[in-house]
Amino acid sequence: MTSSPELIHDLRASRPAAPTELRARIREISAQETTRAPWSGFRFPARRVGLIAIPAAAAMALASAGVLGITRSDVSPETYRAESLEDKATAESETGYGPLDTGANQAVPQAASPAGTASGGRNSAIGPALDRATLLSATLTVEVANADAVSRAAQEALDLTRRLGGHVVNASVATGEEGSAALTVRVPVGKVQEAIVGLSALGRIVSQQVTIQDLQASLDQLERREASIRNQIARIAARLETESLDAENRAVLETRVKTLRGELRGLRSGIAATNAEARMSTIQLTVVTPGAFGAVAPPARLDRTIDEALNVLVWEAVIALAILIVAAPFALAAFAAWLGRRFYRRREEERLLAA
Amino acid sequence: MTLDAPRSVTPSMPAFATVAEQHLDDVYGYLLYLTKNWAVAEDLTSETFEAAFKKWRRFDPRRGTPRAWLLAIARTTALDWFRADSRRRRREERADAVEPSRESEGAFGEGLSPALEDGLRALTAGEREVVALRVVLDLDSEETARLLGITPTAVSTRLSRALAKLEERMRDHDVVA
Repeated sequence: MTSSPELIHDLRASRPAAPTELRARIREISAQETTRAPWSGFRFPARRVGLIAIPAAAAMALASAGVLGITRSDVSPETYRAESLEDKATAESETGYGPLDTGANQAVPQAASPAGTASGGRNSAIGPALDRATLLSATLTVEVANADAVSRAAQEALDLTRRLGGHVVNASVATGEEGSAALTVRVPVGKVQEAIVGLSALGRIVSQQVTIQDLQASLDQLERREASIRNQIARIAARLETESLDAENRAVLETRVKTLRGELRGLRSGIAATNAEARMSTIQLTVVTPGAFGAVAPPARLDRTIDEALNVLVWEAVIALAILIVAAPFALAAFAAWLGRRFYRRREEERLLAA
Repeated sequence: MTLDAPRSVTPSMPAFATVAEQHLDDVYGYLLYLTKNWAVAEDLTSETFEAAFKKWRRFDPRRGTPRAWLLAIARTTALDWFRADSRRRRREERADAVEPSRESEGAFGEGLSPALEDGLRALTAGEREVVALRVVLDLDSEETARLLGITPTAVSTRLSRALAKLEERMRDHDVVA
């Protein structure tokens, strides 16, 4: 009977030794001169490359975002603000949530012009449609150099309004270190473009918004109602003149005519008011000095850089995600194939070594 | 006996000739236990060292010892031989011309008792492999597990089973004797 320790001892004591011929053969192999190219033994270190490539790609993404952020932020604050406002306006129009967008209204915010002088940006492309009754109102904020310029601008605005045949609804001018003025004027609708151009020229435009509301539909409705009432009155008047009516019926018809005439007067005044509203446009003008309340402070260079860099990073992330989504099925298939091959080889090894 | 002058690939790496000299017996012994045939073991040992010589530049001492590296190459070479042998046997079985096995040609080492030789021959290749690695070559459990691609626990289980089987065979041999 043999126990395990004895077995182990016996097996170790009779450890096989390579025969002399084999030793000589191996010596010959070891003695061969290497004639291979230095790169023949090169193996692509996938793990090391991955360890370097992933942080390198992340660093490149950050660096490119930083560089693009700095490059793109290298524009004047006004241009940046203009672009931002354009983006905002585009977003609002796309979502349908414009600041004054209420069905028939059209709100057209316009950005500041960088030079602060009359330019294409200050002339509103939206004007009143003269063949239709519209309610046009505009809101303008202009920036002038100092408090003295505020007073001058306010006075020029009033003069311009009068010159164009308009009138002042209200005006408020505050002087001091940071002067400001707020004016509401009404000008004839045919002169509104001229008024906006003239008021915009008073300083550097900070913001501009033109709103147009169509009144023609309600005007048409009033006029249709007026025609209908006129017809009714005419029919009743004809009956009163031609038919022989008893006293009671005649009294009813006369009361009806009276009521309709009252309604007609109301309609006429409504139509007149609507027409009057459509004849004049309201312009709200705010004149401010730099840094005063109401002036839009341009973002700092650092903020612009961070904004732009974040935008680039978001796009990089989107692209990376898209690549990942496309590549993931292939990577999974490759991984499954690798697992299957490994499993098959393991089973085959077990089968071979079980003999 | 020494081999030719060592040729270092890098200053920190030993020369291939030195490594070959140092571990030739280990590789040969392992292959002999695995194949049960000294002639096949010699051929496979030559193949192993040829392959190792070609790959020597790729050997990274930080990832394991030269002995473990050589034994891994030897194992791959042996498995390839087993595959080829299995295919050959199937072909011969189909042709009904099976050659007599060369297994009886082997001796696992000088001084082994006939009972132990018979016992070893009765083990499967997998069992002899773990005996060779853990007992004869005295590799530790972790190193053996890495080489075989199994867990250290599985190595211990396989070794216990192999030794128990070996003891049983030797007991039977003693009874018959």
